[in-house]
Amino acid sequence: MSGRRSRAVGLAAAIALAAVPLVVRRDDVLNFLFLVLLSVTLAESWNIVAGYAGQVNLGHAAFFGLGALTTRALWVAGAPVLAAMVAGAAVAVVFALLVGAAAFRLRGAYFAIGTLALGEILRITVGNVRAEISTLPAATIAGYRLAHRYYLALALAAVSVVVVAALGGSRLGLGMRAIREDEEAAEASGVGALRLKLLALSLSTALAGLAGGLFAYYHISYYPAHPFSPTWTFDSLLITFIGGVGTVHGPLLGAVFYVFLKEFLAIRWVDFHLLIFGALFVAIVLLLPGGLVEAAARLRALTRRPGQAC
Amino acid sequence: MERVSKAFGGVRAVSEVSFAVADGELIGVMGPNGSGKTTLFNLITGALVPDGGSIRLRDRDIAGWAPHRVCAEGIARTFQLVRPFAGLSALDNVRVGRLYGRARGEARAAAAEAERLLTLVGLEGKAHRLPAQLTLIDKKRLELARALATSPRLLLLDEFMAGLNPAETESAMALIRRLQGEGVTLLMVEHIVWALMDLSRRIIVLSAGEKIAEGPPDAIAADPTVIEVYLGGAGGSARRA
Repeated sequence: MSGRRSRAVGLAAAIALAAVPLVVRRDDVLNFLFLVLLSVTLAESWNIVAGYAGQVNLGHAAFFGLGALTTRALWVAGAPVLAAMVAGAAVAVVFALLVGAAAFRLRGAYFAIGTLALGEILRITVGNVRAEISTLPAATIAGYRLAHRYYLALALAAVSVVVVAALGGSRLGLGMRAIREDEEAAEASGVGALRLKLLALSLSTALAGLAGGLFAYYHISYYPAHPFSPTWTFDSLLITFIGGVGTVHGPLLGAVFYVFLKEFLAIRWVDFHLLIFGALFVAIVLLLPGGLVEAAARLRALTRRPGQAC
Repeated sequence: MERVSKAFGGVRAVSEVSFAVADGELIGVMGPNGSGKTTLFNLITGALVPDGGSIRLRDRDIAGWAPHRVCAEGIARTFQLVRPFAGLSALDNVRVGRLYGRARGEARAAAAEAERLLTLVGLEGKAHRLPAQLTLIDKKRLELARALATSPRLLLLDEFMAGLNPAETESAMALIRRLQGEGVTLLMVEHIVWALMDLSRRIIVLSAGEKIAEGPPDAIAADPTVIEVYLGGAGGSARRA
């Protein structure tokens, strides 16, 4: 899709989504769309580090969780929610820089394992220290407006898509992709790999931290360890791979497809859907490494030149 | 560089090697397998940190610098086994060098400059191909363009002609001569001795990590130590290049 056309489509979609709470007065629709938008944000943010800079971060939930933890604490204590969310993002970024400086010494699978371990350590720690469920005060529940959460989710998803799109065409994005392809050759071409990887991680975790804050603002009650669950990481990973890793549109398409299918399957088979997603993931990595974005491009090529395989 | 050394465990891969390169020169480095040629390159480009000695580029000691800083200072390289960025188009491969190397070009000018370099190395019309769609020599041309895009003061070519057929070797040599004509300073490791002798004004010979000879090609070809290293002591049958 050309830049101008995809911008026009994106803008139209954003306007349509913004109109939904005014037209549709059903909470289940808004809740569902909220989940899609939250997934878009998380997947796009994961995509920055994994898809562009090529570092498979399996500890993404840790930054989502830190954002949630910080935002919930500050907001419930009386801070404005936006300020609390920014603080949550800041905590996630500071933690990311500390961790990244060490973890980026690990390459490939070791980086993935290291970040997975880190996420789990945080989840277990938070689960022990803050074992009791976090519920909003009655006064806050009384004033709860779902539409506020929905608009915040829409804004955040739009910001994350714009950030990734801007990154794609930029000098920074090109440097990150060079690192993904061959870190040593990138260094030899003047790309400061560690600095760029830390920058990618900061951008990614800032968005994940904001998404965590949104989660804390949205849920009336949840266990504080829940947003640290590796599910958030693997959802982001699956969405990005299903949609198309390292592309702007991939996580968007992937999130819509994934959340729909997940809700549909979860209603019927509860946890059995994980097995289906596992198989789907393997199939996509093996047969369609470019994800839905590649499938769409192939389909377009086919319809443009009927009778000719591409 | 002066008295540069590097050991891996007990093996002295490069031992107290010193030499200098002047602007616009083309210097060849030769030596049998395992004589430390690639290690030497890795030391100069920062991929390895020397155990001792100094490496100076215009009065700055760059020994032990990170590779990207060495590149920004003005030393670029190609790899013995080509390493293009597989997921990026030829144009983007070269743009990386332009946007991150010594030149640090502005994004819009970088694309035009990258196109110019692709044409210079003989890849005109192939800017939007992926490296996988290029032949070996074209991949080598691409790596050369990427290295040139960083505006190097010194360009290191690591066995640029390895794996090429005779016709390709000829065109690779023509390309290197063209770079020389453009004033690029070159240091090249090469196994194809005749090509090296033909291109270089000065040759450095390494053996077991030590510099055993340095001089013009004729002198090197007649040097008894070099002949001994290459022909295993059959000093009588000196080979003329």
